[in-house]
Amino acid sequence: MRPDDRRYLPSHEWAKLDDETVLVGITDFAVKELSSGNEGDLVYCDMPEVGRLVAQGETFGEIESVKAVADLNCPVAGEIIEINAEIEEHLEVLSQDPWRKGWLIRVKPESTSLDHLLDAEAYEALLEKSEH
Amino acid sequence: MSRWRLFESPDLDPGLNMGLDEALLESDAPPTLRLYGWSPDTLSLGYFQRFADVPATRRASRVVRRITGGGAIHHDAGELTFALTCAAHEPPYDTSIPESYARVHGAVIEALAAVGVDAKLRDEDALASERTATGMCFHASTPLDIVWLARKGVGSAQRRRAGRVLHHGSIKVHASELEEGVASFAVAGSTATRGQVGAALVSAFERLLDARFESAEPSPELLAEARERGARYLAKDFVRRR
Repeated sequence: MRPDDRRYLPSHEWAKLDDETVLVGITDFAVKELSSGNEGDLVYCDMPEVGRLVAQGETFGEIESVKAVADLNCPVAGEIIEINAEIEEHLEVLSQDPWRKGWLIRVKPESTSLDHLLDAEAYEALLEKSEH
Repeated sequence: MSRWRLFESPDLDPGLNMGLDEALLESDAPPTLRLYGWSPDTLSLGYFQRFADVPATRRASRVVRRITGGGAIHHDAGELTFALTCAAHEPPYDTSIPESYARVHGAVIEALAAVGVDAKLRDEDALASERTATGMCFHASTPLDIVWLARKGVGSAQRRRAGRVLHHGSIKVHASELEEGVASFAVAGSTATRGQVGAALVSAFERLLDARFESAEPSPELLAEARERGARYLAKDFVRRR
């Protein structure tokens, strides 16, 4: 079971409330899809500028593995107030710890409600459906 | 049986080629296979590549940057490009990314066999086409790449955006002087042409997807959008963005 202290997008990003801000990352499933389980397969990650305003669902960055370039979508609307600078140089962190050290951006959200996103149970059900 | 559109283009301007693929990715267009060439010969950079890391940029007539990843490719008269575009929940992409490669590459291998090229997945084999510090797609490989006679002969890369997939493939029919040591049909003893391998690809994709491919032309609206989108692929700030 994925962590139930956060919510999820069907495109495999997670959002977690942290005080009045929202941390955003990608799930272990997304990492596995992109890297085939080999952390060296993740090659680039383009992160946004701090201060950028994003809409809910808007692409805020891009990640490339050996075999695919994929968009990174923001689960909430708001202002990007911090990026995890370590990720661009150390993509292996995403494979090692996608839930904590592998956060990508911190957003000051327009609303702290995450009710529009999937809870862990619904996200698990989505994955189960896509794997069968 | 599903239906796919087949756009077979003559050698097109590089910006228009890239603009068409992006327009198909960005729309809710029906599943589409494009088979195309390039004029003039063009070097395409992978989306994240650094311009300075690809010495061959100095020797190609034109340089563009793709929106798919991977390494640089020289598209000349001896190369056939294919582009599959559809929703990510449709075959062959209704599975994991590695499995989608395995499916598509299985069809490509079948098509190559039909034109006399005995190709296979690289798996763990060592290749004679590997080179360092060229930045070229065909000089690096993964186990899922298609090879013959220990040389990489097909390049492949995907872009995933908003629930859709663009899958670029590149087949080396003849050798390019910018891609020393890679596979060609000649080394496999095949005299097949780009047109023949294109026709074989369509048949193989039809079997893979249980689909009927119907030849069509891009609409004037799609072409106009492709021209608009295509301009940036040749623009210096995009080509040299890294």
